[in-house]
Amino acid sequence: MEVLRLQNLQKSFGSVRALKNASLTLREGEVVALLGDNGAGKSTLIKAISGVFPVDRGDIFVRGEKVSIRSTRDAMDLGIETIHQDTSLAPDLSIARNLFLGREPVSFGWLGVFAPLDLAKLRKAASELLKRVGISKKLDADALVSTLSGGERQSIAISRAMQFAAKVIILDEPTNNLGVEETHGVLRFVKEVRDAGHSVLLITHNIHHVFQVADRIVVMRRGEIVAEQTVADTDLLTVESIITGADMSALLKEARAK
Amino acid sequence: MPVGKRRSSLIRSPQFSSFIILVVLLAVFAVADANFLSPLNISNMMAFLPELGIIALGMTLLLTAGEFDLSVGAVFGLAPVVVMLLVQNGGVDIGVALMAGLVLCIAIGAINGLIVTKIGISSFLVTLSMLLVVRGAALYITQGFPLKSWDQPGFFVTLLAGSFNIGSFRFYTSLWWFIGLSLFAIYILRYAKLGNWISAIGSNRNAAVARGVPADAVKIWLFIATSVLAGLAGMISAFRISAASPVAGTGYELEVIAMVVVGGTALTGGRGTILGTIVGALMLRAIRNGIVLVGVPGLAYNIFVGLIILAMLILHALLQKNAARS
Repeated sequence: MEVLRLQNLQKSFGSVRALKNASLTLREGEVVALLGDNGAGKSTLIKAISGVFPVDRGDIFVRGEKVSIRSTRDAMDLGIETIHQDTSLAPDLSIARNLFLGREPVSFGWLGVFAPLDLAKLRKAASELLKRVGISKKLDADALVSTLSGGERQSIAISRAMQFAAKVIILDEPTNNLGVEETHGVLRFVKEVRDAGHSVLLITHNIHHVFQVADRIVVMRRGEIVAEQTVADTDLLTVESIITGADMSALLKEARAK
Repeated sequence: MPVGKRRSSLIRSPQFSSFIILVVLLAVFAVADANFLSPLNISNMMAFLPELGIIALGMTLLLTAGEFDLSVGAVFGLAPVVVMLLVQNGGVDIGVALMAGLVLCIAIGAINGLIVTKIGISSFLVTLSMLLVVRGAALYITQGFPLKSWDQPGFFVTLLAGSFNIGSFRFYTSLWWFIGLSLFAIYILRYAKLGNWISAIGSNRNAAVARGVPADAVKIWLFIATSVLAGLAGMISAFRISAASPVAGTGYELEVIAMVVVGGTALTGGRGTILGTIVGALMLRAIRNGIVLVGVPGLAYNIFVGLIILAMLILHALLQKNAARS
């Protein structure tokens, strides 16, 4: 079932056309990898979906319904959660407080921003969540995020998105700067997220990771989507050549011939 | 969290180390001069404490959100000058004049906040400029002279600067204001939804915004709160000494920031502690008072104050490093 459909999105910054007619469909329970060189328009595309700025032209459909996304809050309310490696968590706050940031459980809600946090509920929900995602053994809900490793932070951010029943989870370079083992942990987690029924849009530079977790691959170049293939139907070299625009397999043949 | 772990994290917390140093300082001063703990001297310290302490509460919240305000000392001076001018020269009722002063402080804070958040200029530059504007305004409208002394008891004077005796100690109502506002600030920062937002904004603004936290609005309101607290402190001071001066509060901005960071709040945002700020306010007050009593020459005060602040900051940095390593 279709969860998110982008139709002919266009966005310009001054004279730079960052997005030209980008269309993309994301189905339920699939991991789609969004690939492309620097400046290909990947981050413009995800910023448009996550409400950082509006598009100039084009439509966004969530579960078949046309929506307008004007703010990050709009995106979240529609079930679209975006996770950037460095911008998703506040390091000086505890895990529990981070998990509920912006959606804090409070008592006396009529007090608005002055309402007291329901700390017991906060901690309980946080521990339950940590247990559900399988990282309860090691992590304390009261621990500060600054004491966690990069991989643990990614897992926390992803599980937060899962917890709020996000339909679409956008992961922006989730494995950057992570060690080998941590990277595998995060990739395994991405698979679990998919198996739980969420759809994942994975933005990454690392093609190897894509082949480990993605169902489909979408390649962008100069603001356009230039290829869309299922992982089963393609291979690393083909994808690499599409990204760079050069025919790598031909080059390779040439090199072998010499 | 096991008890042992909790205890060690308490001991490592910055406000705790500040507290220990405060106790040591008080002990040293008490031993060096018997008058330090005399009712008169304690009464004196408690009279001054709230005036800077109240501003420090606002500054702590603002610093925790990652911004700071250099215009507080100037607002401390301008607010009472404007109120007193309205009362003395304009024949305005004191209640109305105080209202005007409040509106003025709100406006100054709002301008600071709007420029910082909407135009994106660092709060250092914005509030430094505001310091000059506000101080300049105070000097200009008074032509540089202190106002005539104004000594008419009334509801507002009692409310802000009334005094009462407990035994041989003389306390001002400003102490109640400081205690009440401190409790409120502790509640906000540690237990309220707003506090979660403030810490998150200072810790990682983008993360907070991505979660739908209205970071700009929170910062603007914190600038307003800080300005209003500075004006309130200025009024308390002016009522206490029955006079308003255009140069009152000169240099207070740095003294207040010193109180806050000595208490353990991070200058870079994200980590704030009101308890630490109270300790910091007590510490700077005690230092200023104590080194006079122990006979440090007047002109050498600031050498000691500066050195003690530096020592505190070095200690915090070392503790922080230690905590990060373990």
